[in-house]
Amino acid sequence: MAILRLENVTIDLPIFGFDAGSLKKTLATTVTGGRIKLETGITVVRALDDVSLNLRDGDRLGLYGHNGAGKSTLLRTLAGVYPPTKGTYRREGTLASFIDPMLGIEMDATGYENIHLRGLVMGLNRATVNRILPEIAEFSGLGNFLSMPLRTYSSGMLMRLAFSIVTSVRADILLLDEWLSVGDAEFQERADKRMREIVDNTGILVLATHSPEMIRRECNRVMELCHGRNMGEKELPQDTTAAPPLADVI
Amino acid sequence: MLGPWWITISMGMMLLGLGPLYAALFQIPLNSFFPNVTLGLIFWGFIASTINDSCTVFAAAASYLKHSNNPLSLFVWRLLARNILQLAHQMVLYLPVAVLSGIVIGPSTLLFVPGFALLVVNLHAIAISLGIICARFRDVTQIVGSLVTFLMFLTPVIWMPESLPARARLVLYNPLAQFLALVREPLLGRVCGPEVWGGAIAWTVVNVLIAMSIFSWKRRQVVYWV
Repeated sequence: MAILRLENVTIDLPIFGFDAGSLKKTLATTVTGGRIKLETGITVVRALDDVSLNLRDGDRLGLYGHNGAGKSTLLRTLAGVYPPTKGTYRREGTLASFIDPMLGIEMDATGYENIHLRGLVMGLNRATVNRILPEIAEFSGLGNFLSMPLRTYSSGMLMRLAFSIVTSVRADILLLDEWLSVGDAEFQERADKRMREIVDNTGILVLATHSPEMIRRECNRVMELCHGRNMGEKELPQDTTAAPPLADVI
Repeated sequence: MLGPWWITISMGMMLLGLGPLYAALFQIPLNSFFPNVTLGLIFWGFIASTINDSCTVFAAAASYLKHSNNPLSLFVWRLLARNILQLAHQMVLYLPVAVLSGIVIGPSTLLFVPGFALLVVNLHAIAISLGIICARFRDVTQIVGSLVTFLMFLTPVIWMPESLPARARLVLYNPLAQFLALVREPLLGRVCGPEVWGGAIAWTVVNVLIAMSIFSWKRRQVVYWV
C-alpha cells in the first residue's frame, strides 16, 4: 500500500552569491564590515509555499504550471531529495524516480558495466542485476555496442540505454518529469508500450507536464502550481467523452 | 597493459629511490630503516589520499545528491573502498622488504587488524566532517591539502621516531603519528604501548563526536550547497 503525503510543505532554496563558497572571502567581509565588494550574500528563494497533497494507491497526479512554478522542486521533494523547510513529508512504499535517467552513468565504462552500476545505484543486488541484464540488453536493441564505452555512443543511444535500465525496475511510486519518449520511431513505439505497462502496474504516479492532453490521458487528479503555490487540485473524471475541455477544469 | 599494477610500480620506484639514500643520509642501517619507511610511505599515502579526497567527496557526487535519496555515508564508503584497494595494491611491496630485512612476525602482528579498523573508523568520521565543511566552503579543500602536506613532516613517515631527541617527543602525540604507529608497529613485529592505544581511542571518540554533530546539524543543507 503506497502512501505519499505532504502536509503544509514549504521549501526555501538558498542561492549562494559567487563568493559565498569561499571561507576566506566570507571572513573578509565580516572583518571589514562589508566595505570590500564581494558577493557573499545568500538569497533565499521560496520554491514551494504551503503545498499539501495526499496520494494513495491508484492516484495519478498531474502537475501543471508555468516554467519555474515549482514542478521539479515538488518532484524532488517527493523523491526525498529536499527536506521540507516547514511541514511534513511521509512516504510508504518503494519509489522509482524517472526524473534523471542519466543519473550515475559513467561515460568511460561499457554498456554492460553501466547496467551493473545503475542497477546497484537503484538498490538491486548483484544477483538481481545479472538476472535482468539480458532483458535490458535486448530491450535497448544496442547489440554489440553494449561492450563499448559509453563515450562512443550517440545521444540517442545513451538515452535508449538509460531508458532501458531505468524502466526495468518496478516500484510502488513513480515520479516522472515529462513523459519519457526517446529514440527513433521504432524504439519509441516499444518505449511507449513499456511506459504504459509500468504506469498501469504502479501504485502512485506523479507526472509533471506542460501538455493538457497528457494529463487528460494519464491522470485522475491535476494540481496547478504557480510561483510555488498550489492554485488548486481537482479530480478529473476518467470518462473522457463526458469530460469538459481541460481549459475549464484547470 | 599492466593496469592497476602501475600503482604498485610507482610506489615501488619511490621506495627504491628513497630507502637506500635516506638510510645513508640518516646513517641508520638499511634493514631497520627500509621496512619503516616502506610502511610509513604506504600508510601515509593511504591516509593523506583519503583525507584530501574526502574534501570533495560530496561536491563530486552532486548529481547523485540532487536526484536521489542516498545516505551521505555511501559516498564516504566508496571513497574508503577505493583507497583501501590502492593500499592493498601497495602493501604487496612490503612482503619482499620484510623478508629481506629479517622481520620476525608473531601473534602480536594480528594487532594490526583492530588498529587498522580504528584508523578506518576515524577516516570515515573525518571524511564526513570535511566533506560537509568543504561542500559549504570550497577553499577549505586547499587549506586541508596544505595542512596534510605540512603534517607529513611532523609525522615519522620518512624519519624514525627513535631518532627524535627527548625534548621533541611531543611531536609523537600528533594523532596521525599515533595512528601510523598503531598500524605500523605490529607489522614490524613490535607491540605498541598502551599510551598509543589510549591516544588513538581518545582521538576516535573526538572525531566521531565532531562528525556526528556536524552531520546532524548540517546534513539537510548539503544538497543545497553542492
